[in-house]
Amino acid sequence: MSRPANAARAGMGEILNKDLRRQIVDMVVAGKNGHIPSAFSIVDIVAHLYRHVLKVDPKNPKWPKRDFFILSKGHGCLGLYVNLHRQGFITDDDVAQFCRRGGMLGEHPDSLKVPGAEASTGSLGHGFSYAVGIALGHRIKGRENRIFVLVGDGECHEGTIWEAAHVARSYELGKLCVVVDWNQSGMQLLPHDDLPAKWKAFGWKTMVIDGHNDAELTRAFDDVRFESKGVPTAIVARTVKGKGVHMLEGHGIWHHRIPNAEEYAKIMEALS
Amino acid sequence: MSEKQVRQQFADTMLAVGLEDPDLVVMVGDISHGILQPFAKACPGRYYNVGILEPTMMSMGAGLARAGLFPVIHTIAPFLIERAFEQIKLDFCYHGLHGNIVTVGSAFDYAYLGCTHHCYGDFALMKTLQGVQITYPSAPIEFDTLFRQAYRNKTVTVYRVPGSQHGIGFAANDIQLGKGIKVADGRDVTLVATGPQLKTAMSARSLLAGSGREAEVLYIHTIRPLDEELILASVSKTRHVVVIEEHMRSGGLGDDVLRATRNLPNIRYASASIPDTFIRAYGSYEDHCESVGLTPGRVAALVESEFAR
Repeated sequence: MSRPANAARAGMGEILNKDLRRQIVDMVVAGKNGHIPSAFSIVDIVAHLYRHVLKVDPKNPKWPKRDFFILSKGHGCLGLYVNLHRQGFITDDDVAQFCRRGGMLGEHPDSLKVPGAEASTGSLGHGFSYAVGIALGHRIKGRENRIFVLVGDGECHEGTIWEAAHVARSYELGKLCVVVDWNQSGMQLLPHDDLPAKWKAFGWKTMVIDGHNDAELTRAFDDVRFESKGVPTAIVARTVKGKGVHMLEGHGIWHHRIPNAEEYAKIMEALS
Repeated sequence: MSEKQVRQQFADTMLAVGLEDPDLVVMVGDISHGILQPFAKACPGRYYNVGILEPTMMSMGAGLARAGLFPVIHTIAPFLIERAFEQIKLDFCYHGLHGNIVTVGSAFDYAYLGCTHHCYGDFALMKTLQGVQITYPSAPIEFDTLFRQAYRNKTVTVYRVPGSQHGIGFAANDIQLGKGIKVADGRDVTLVATGPQLKTAMSARSLLAGSGREAEVLYIHTIRPLDEELILASVSKTRHVVVIEEHMRSGGLGDDVLRATRNLPNIRYASASIPDTFIRAYGSYEDHCESVGLTPGRVAALVESEFAR
């Protein structure tokens, strides 16, 4: 499997969040399920949000003034779970029960079970439209909550993404910020993949960054104005599916594969 | 019969409730825009003519509910119930959120527009979703009363607004979500009607009286939760039941009546409903009713043919 073109342009620096990546692999091996490359594609973005951007309270996940983070590409949920764990929303025991009967964590997040998970996603194209409604609802209520959404580039094949983008721009939902995980999954099928041009065409303030680079993430989020009535922002983040372990990178068999003992050892060595 | 259309009552109720409740928000898919202007003007910032994007409008409604508002989502039945079905299922029901879906153009109310604008399977589809309440208010007072009773419930409520009415003047006190109404007593057969077909049932009752059969007529404005107690009490007495509805035979009220009465011995059942097929013909609403057997004469004949043996 060849490395995706984004590999040449994204994340060429230091591998971030090796601890979170190791935890993702451990959860997949223990739970015998999970999408490792999808989680590795977004884990740096999600980690950055929870460490530096989101106003949330793990002791009070329903804090009315919190920022909302909605993972619209629900199959990347391991990238969310490890950050919720690190922040203290969920426990060691919750993590140990991943994909087990009685556990709260599955291969897609259930917001009625998982503290800090704002949406039950998995069917692509839902979380973003839902987030647009949340953003509009908070504005109607006169609140200042900020709404962040992470969508996949393959997810951007869904028509509802563009329906909702159209509405959000027309309604000037300036508190809304979407991050596009542009790991080029989508272009394997539909090669006309100029996502920055598409978001710009819908009237969104659009930035293109390296989604595995903390400094670029900082600059991007610092540049969002979050006006109550203003232009919403799309941060198109160049990412690499499977980022951090060469054998996992790309769009092949590792999408939903569980490492065997030998593969596990190689992955952990790469992340040491 | 009230001269006011149920659809106009929908707009009037939005205005009245919207003035009382600052958390009521109305979203429409580019229909009923004119009649909702009083609400839009009286409740600024709470009316959105979102456009032609029903799945996103539905998901946005769930988002509004998540923000603590009480959304009303309104457009033509097939585009809300069928096109946006997954959004109702996942974004509302799976998230445990509340909301109000007000449809027009159910069954073949948009008779001249053809099958793209028909929706005969909405009861069946909505019954597959956890906790969804389904109402069929077929007079203005019913819409106003049922909406006020249900719109703040912790679930999704569907209001199937018809283009015609049954013509029976119920009082607001007669109408209770989840409770049917016995409209006429009888001992020989139970006619269970929903929607404007109550009118058909009452006329069929008169025809049957001419041949010495006493029909009891039950009116069901709430398909779910269904008043099984009322149905059981009547059918236990008459042992014969005909369900009259503008819905496909599969998954309609008739199926629920059969299930409710399954343990009664020696029951005879018949259905006056829409066949499980597209109604490809054009013509008026009345033409379509005639073609599928939803007329007093056809219902009376159904009773005679099914139960006289």
